[in-house]
Amino acid sequence: MENFEINSDQIDKIEKITTKEKDFRVKNLKLFQAAGFPNKNLEDWKFSDFKNIINNNFEELKCKSHSETINKLDLIKDFEHNYIFLVNGNLYSNNFNYEDINKIKINSYDKSLEHQKTDNSLIHLNHALADNGFSLEVEKNYKFKKVLVIYNYFSKNIKNKILNNKSKIKLNENTELHIIEYTINETHNKFINNSYENIYLCKNSKLRNIYLQKNKSEGFFYKFVKNQLSSNSNYLNFIFSSGLKFNKLDIECDLIGENANCNIMSALHLGKDEHQEIKTFINHLQPNCKSYQKVKNVLSSESRGVFQGKIFVKDIAQKTDAYQLSKALLLNDNAEFNSKPELEIYADDVKCSHGSASGSIDEDSLHYLMTRGLTRENSSKLLVKGFLNEIIEIIKSPTIKKFVETKFEEQIYGH
Amino acid sequence: MLEIKNLKASINERSILKGLNLHIKPGELHAIMGPNGSGKSTLANVLSGKKGYEITGEINFEGESLKAVSVEERAQKGIFLAFQYPLEIPGVNTNNFLKTSLNSILKAKGKKELDTLSFLKLVKEKSSELGIDEKILSRQLNVGFSGGEKKKNEILQMKILDPNLSILDETDSGLDIDALKIIAKGVNSSRDDKKSFLVITHYQRLLEYIKPDFVHVLSDGKIVRTGCGELAEELEKTGYKKIN
Amino acid sequence: MRQQELEKAKDYKYGFTTDIESIRAPKGLNEEVIKFISNIKKEPKWMLEWRLKAFNRLKSIKEPNWQKPKYPKIDYQNLYYYSAPKSAKDKPKSLDEVDPKLIETYKKLGIPLKEQEKLAGVAVDAVFDSVSVATTFKDKLTEKGIIFCPISEAIQKHPDLVKKYLGSVIPITDHYFATLNSAVFTDGSFVYIPEGVRCPMELSTYFRINASETGQFERTLIIADKGSYVSYLEGCTAPMRDENQLHAANVELVALDDAEIKYSTVQNWYPGDKDGKGGIYNFVTKRGLCKGKNSKISWTQVETGSAITWKYPSCILKGDNSVGEFYSIAITNNYQKADTGTKMIHLGKNTKSKIISKGISAGHADNTYRGLVDINKNALNARNYTQCDSLLMGNKCGAHTVPYIKNKNSSSTIEHEATTSKINEDQLYYCNQRGLNQEESVGLIVNGFCKEVLQQLPMEFAVEAQKLVGISLEGSVG
Repeated sequence: MENFEINSDQIDKIEKITTKEKDFRVKNLKLFQAAGFPNKNLEDWKFSDFKNIINNNFEELKCKSHSETINKLDLIKDFEHNYIFLVNGNLYSNNFNYEDINKIKINSYDKSLEHQKTDNSLIHLNHALADNGFSLEVEKNYKFKKVLVIYNYFSKNIKNKILNNKSKIKLNENTELHIIEYTINETHNKFINNSYENIYLCKNSKLRNIYLQKNKSEGFFYKFVKNQLSSNSNYLNFIFSSGLKFNKLDIECDLIGENANCNIMSALHLGKDEHQEIKTFINHLQPNCKSYQKVKNVLSSESRGVFQGKIFVKDIAQKTDAYQLSKALLLNDNAEFNSKPELEIYADDVKCSHGSASGSIDEDSLHYLMTRGLTRENSSKLLVKGFLNEIIEIIKSPTIKKFVETKFEEQIYGH
Repeated sequence: MLEIKNLKASINERSILKGLNLHIKPGELHAIMGPNGSGKSTLANVLSGKKGYEITGEINFEGESLKAVSVEERAQKGIFLAFQYPLEIPGVNTNNFLKTSLNSILKAKGKKELDTLSFLKLVKEKSSELGIDEKILSRQLNVGFSGGEKKKNEILQMKILDPNLSILDETDSGLDIDALKIIAKGVNSSRDDKKSFLVITHYQRLLEYIKPDFVHVLSDGKIVRTGCGELAEELEKTGYKKIN
Repeated sequence: MRQQELEKAKDYKYGFTTDIESIRAPKGLNEEVIKFISNIKKEPKWMLEWRLKAFNRLKSIKEPNWQKPKYPKIDYQNLYYYSAPKSAKDKPKSLDEVDPKLIETYKKLGIPLKEQEKLAGVAVDAVFDSVSVATTFKDKLTEKGIIFCPISEAIQKHPDLVKKYLGSVIPITDHYFATLNSAVFTDGSFVYIPEGVRCPMELSTYFRINASETGQFERTLIIADKGSYVSYLEGCTAPMRDENQLHAANVELVALDDAEIKYSTVQNWYPGDKDGKGGIYNFVTKRGLCKGKNSKISWTQVETGSAITWKYPSCILKGDNSVGEFYSIAITNNYQKADTGTKMIHLGKNTKSKIISKGISAGHADNTYRGLVDINKNALNARNYTQCDSLLMGNKCGAHTVPYIKNKNSSSTIEHEATTSKINEDQLYYCNQRGLNQEESVGLIVNGFCKEVLQQLPMEFAVEAQKLVGISLEGSVG
């Protein structure tokens, strides 16, 4: 597929929009059309040439949302939970039976118009065409009793599509919410999912968020997440979302209040022809904030892992404590790991450090295990597991930890 | 040598020293004892000229007010502080540091600076006198030193810089008996009718090896009792609570 | 010097101009100027053709613009591309014939050639406005078969070597400034160490820009033949001028089997005044090729000068078991900017690289480490270790670390660490208490911070570098 174009009549097909909203969409569509899909000449896409990947994988692409009815929701039975069920991005059903309904506002996609400047053409495309997603708000002083699972379900018949969806999560003062975003791909066809998410944490709020994938699929995903963290808020994000053909998570985090705390933990295991990128941009804008990032990649057969992480510290953001570590295990000579851990610092009384390491499994450790009677293969598996477990171990709830562990292994070894 | 009159010091609007008086004559060794939080380390810091304190009252050293005198000028005049927690300064060779330090003090006194050879000779002499392995001086300043090594290093520095007034801020805490003896030896061998010492300690233990001329008890920012060596022994038995 | 200049010169020790008559090519960049340069250097035809080829290429490419420190557009037509002290026209054969004023200049620079000749045993090639003025110790080097001469002389006397290696590491099709240099370079040093020879002394070049509105474009080529060793030192200074001056040198190193090249730089070009006016744009291309097996190239740089420093001394590790090293100190004060680092390209098996970078930022300065570690598919068992530390003094300056890490080989290991810190108040207090004043204390602590790099420098340079570290940061602590 060499050229990809969208007619502006696509926008006309979106229902119930105001003139103002339409103008916004048209403006963004023009921006997208001028730039096209991002390619490797852009610094942010240096290691993931999206344009090229799309061209090599798609003969044609359609930009229409795809609604579908499903007979039975296949829910997780391992633990009690609330849920939001999205079908191809569309808010299909939701259930908050364990909670005080009055404290929760749930709506379909977020229509608020973004004016934040960006030169990211996928965001422009999203702003132009997003017509799905959800918006969730938690009232002041409410703490969720059970975890919320967001099922991100993609149906069987979806093919050569590019889906655009937009979501928003707002936690008001003194709230707490634990989310598992669980992606299920029923389709064996290739498609693109382009999502945009806004997360706003008010004072003293706390959000735990786990990205997890049920199975391997032919999905090409891009997700941009903008987090804003007010004072004393706490954000912890786990990323276990391998299994897609392509996945780029683009996480921006503005620490806009003092003592805000941002944690990003990732454990990925990539298989044949998978390409994953985690890009983070942590903005320390106020004093006394903390950010901690740990990204671990295991790369087998022809896979490619990318980590681009940037920590920015504004001149007034004294006493910042920022840490970033990316580690990769390359299991195969055809695997590749690229990273760019970046620091940009303008305050002097700060603690900022980053580290990046990549290499193969330690031969001495393998040898040690083998002298204890394990086969080379099992020793290797054990070491890989140990490498990734460091992230999984951080999950507090034993049931969730067990669930994540099981799903993650199923996904890696397919049993 | 040192005369302190009605010294008050506060930090971040919290007052710590609340009217302290102390007079140390040449050749005297004074010990200051007191419970945690009584202001012992603050006194050491204020005497060295550390920034950040609001200060009123008078501190006179060898007849001159120290009010407008910076930390390094005080050091050059001969005030030495052995730190409670000596800092680690990565990459800086201890010998080099000490030579620079000694020469800036000699220079300020209008004396001839030492060349490397005579400096190393001095170091050798002083460290063997104390029974300290001079190898620690070829390492980076305090980096990777054990607690005992750091304290010994402070005493060796004191011997080499040869100050008129040495302030030892809890130099004895956390030391085993052998290290303690080295510290005591360092102090005792330096004592003469011109040099003065202010030994700050929490325990009486050190004073078994270093005999003070006077013992002061510091409590809540003031000296509440002054006596001779026996006072320390009494404190050890009764504790600080009884003093007030 | 007039009183006023003297006042100004207090801040920049090397900021004097030497009153020497010079010959200049007309202003501007065109074929005529290139022919003029080639002609005045009595170059063979192939050399002129090589230059013109580069010039043609230059017309089709643009200046890069991805660096962090931005600068106003350079008008390449408004620069002199050739300026030579008149007295150098009849080249001196020994130091005695060198213009006494030049000798005095070098004395002011702290490189008394004569003394150095006797005491330090350093062979010096002094480049003055891009023209080599004197090369000491020639006889002693010739004995060993070592060639150490201005590159203009090498082009005439050793054309085979020059033809073979010039542009073999930095091709004329490289980036804008490298291509510009290929077209207009005026002089520089040439070194050839024959097979199995260990160069008995440090070779050294001092660069100095004297004439105003002059770009400086030297070209250095060092070839270490099989099993040889050489340590090469480069120092730079420039007078104070209000306008910015461009310095775009190319340095190419080639190490054959089992050879080792150690290249050390102490860069102290005029950094501009306290308000950021004037100063050198130091856009230099330095690249080494570890061509043979077991070869080693080691770059050490102490960058304290220049308004903008923009350079990445790099190693291409082609030979199996070859080693690349990069040790760097970059100090920026006032309005200085630096965007510097290295590239380690691992191509051969068992290749190793090590990067130690120390960035210090004070005043309103901005300091960027940018580096690339690229381990290719065939670089089995390649190893890299990178450590980047930044030190900030005050919160008006910035420190930026941008490492690019590419690993395409599962048997390789890459480690990268970076930290940012400030000078600890307690450390300063400790030094003060031992009688050191604020500036001595800062100098001491910063030198400690830089130690791993400073200890890579040859003795004579290490002392100078340590002093420079102190001088560069003067006035940065309040």
